[in-house]
Amino acid sequence: MRLHIAAAATAIVAITATAAAASGPLSLVSEIKSEKRVAAADGTTRIALVKADKIVPGDRVVFVLTYRNTGTQPIANLVLANPVPANIAYRAANPGSAAPELSVDGKTFGPLSGLRVATATGGTRAAAPDDVTTVRWRLVSPVAAGAQGQLAFQVVLK
Amino acid sequence: MTAKGMRRLLLSGTTAVATFGVGGAAYAQTTSAGTIISNQANATYTVNGTPASVQSNLSTFVVDRKVNVTVAADPNTNTIVNLGQTNAVLSFRVTNNTNGTQDMLLTTSQILGAGGTGTDNYDVGNVRIYLDTNPNGQWDAQDQLVTYIDEMAPDASALVFVVADVPNTTTANYASVSLNAQVAIGGGTGAAGQALVATDINLLNQNADQDIVFADADTDGLLGYDAARNGQARAYLQYEVGARSANLSIVKSSTVITDGVNLIAPKAIPGATVQYCLTIQNSSLLVPATGITLTDVIPTNTTYVPGSIRIGGLGTGGVCILGGFPANDDGSPVLLSPYGGSFNGTTKTVTASIPSLLGSTSMAVSFQVVIN
Repeated sequence: MRLHIAAAATAIVAITATAAAASGPLSLVSEIKSEKRVAAADGTTRIALVKADKIVPGDRVVFVLTYRNTGTQPIANLVLANPVPANIAYRAANPGSAAPELSVDGKTFGPLSGLRVATATGGTRAAAPDDVTTVRWRLVSPVAAGAQGQLAFQVVLK
Repeated sequence: MTAKGMRRLLLSGTTAVATFGVGGAAYAQTTSAGTIISNQANATYTVNGTPASVQSNLSTFVVDRKVNVTVAADPNTNTIVNLGQTNAVLSFRVTNNTNGTQDMLLTTSQILGAGGTGTDNYDVGNVRIYLDTNPNGQWDAQDQLVTYIDEMAPDASALVFVVADVPNTTTANYASVSLNAQVAIGGGTGAAGQALVATDINLLNQNADQDIVFADADTDGLLGYDAARNGQARAYLQYEVGARSANLSIVKSSTVITDGVNLIAPKAIPGATVQYCLTIQNSSLLVPATGITLTDVIPTNTTYVPGSIRIGGLGTGGVCILGGFPANDDGSPVLLSPYGGSFNGTTKTVTASIPSLLGSTSMAVSFQVVIN
């Protein structure tokens, strides 16, 4: 499978690095956004991501991961994983972001169509988005010093 | 890959996308308001062959209160009432669809909104609200008189009875009564909370707090009193005055009691005493007939036997089985008798008045004359 380094979303949001113990060269910032329709200058509406505020059950939110190489050496073999929190159901990769590999057990990763879930009767069934427990991206190309990228996926609050 | 294999892959891809497209799937158990959702990602990588890992910050938000309530007529049928009926019951089901425990403030209204259905031409009196406390689906003595439902858990529902008295207005046909439930703050057992107020939509940076978002539907149309997203729900039911006429029938028969000659099988000869038996039957099921006045002119060539009127006895189909209450010939009331009776010597008329005859019952009235 080919994965792209996501030169992802439209505009890369300026990150105030409130984040991560910056022991290593990789800065990793997680944000929770919600979609908001805004009118563009040309009269169309587009979806903007704003800070999640009023979120009630059934609402869709977007988990955004921003990574940046703050060091001087390229970073290789980067694997970003995001366990899906409780009460949250995975829906899809956010438009513009690379599609993640999914897992229902935290061990086997792949596209959803290839995943199976054990049923109460002892058999297995095809996995649904609700079954996803972990979302993962593997970047095949190294991240150069100073380079950054953004990955995002949509979830819904149960 | 063969063309066939490719096509199958494409098809499966389409299916997957369609599944993703389902946005707000309804979950049976929604996440409680106030729950903190935290997300944290982690990464592993190598720098010049040296492995390292890092965790992201913890990004969080607070699940807000999605306020939703429904009120439904249960069952959705008019309650058929009789004029003057007391304690006529309408039943409604109130359901808390909020992701939190709430009180529900209950009020009734008899003002028919423009969006309300049907006609309304009278008002019922003494309107009360009861909770089906036992709960058996019936309004009974164990049910509690309430103004609110205390501490309704998420997805809990309760049966609420509206109980009222129907006036004795002859023109009355339909009375619409609506039950309104307003979502209020829960948490204080035994006391009604304050009605919830939605958090101002313009307030920003509230994601650390628990906001209140009204998500209820408009339950009675654009012209009705209820509106979407007002934290309230309303349902309407009607008291419908049913049958206005009862099917009454009278059967009259006569029996010679004694002729002064024959001890067995007395004959209708001059001097004989004859008993007239009138049985009155109300054939309408469940509809009581009220204010019945029965009059009978005694035949010519007979003389009324004073004090022989008996009212309220057992009897049916023209056969008097048991006597009943006596009546004074002058019309003055008789102790303990609910009935009135008299004999008018001028018009030779026997009168009996019966206040009420229940549906599907019958009653006997009798009096005696002597053949001249």
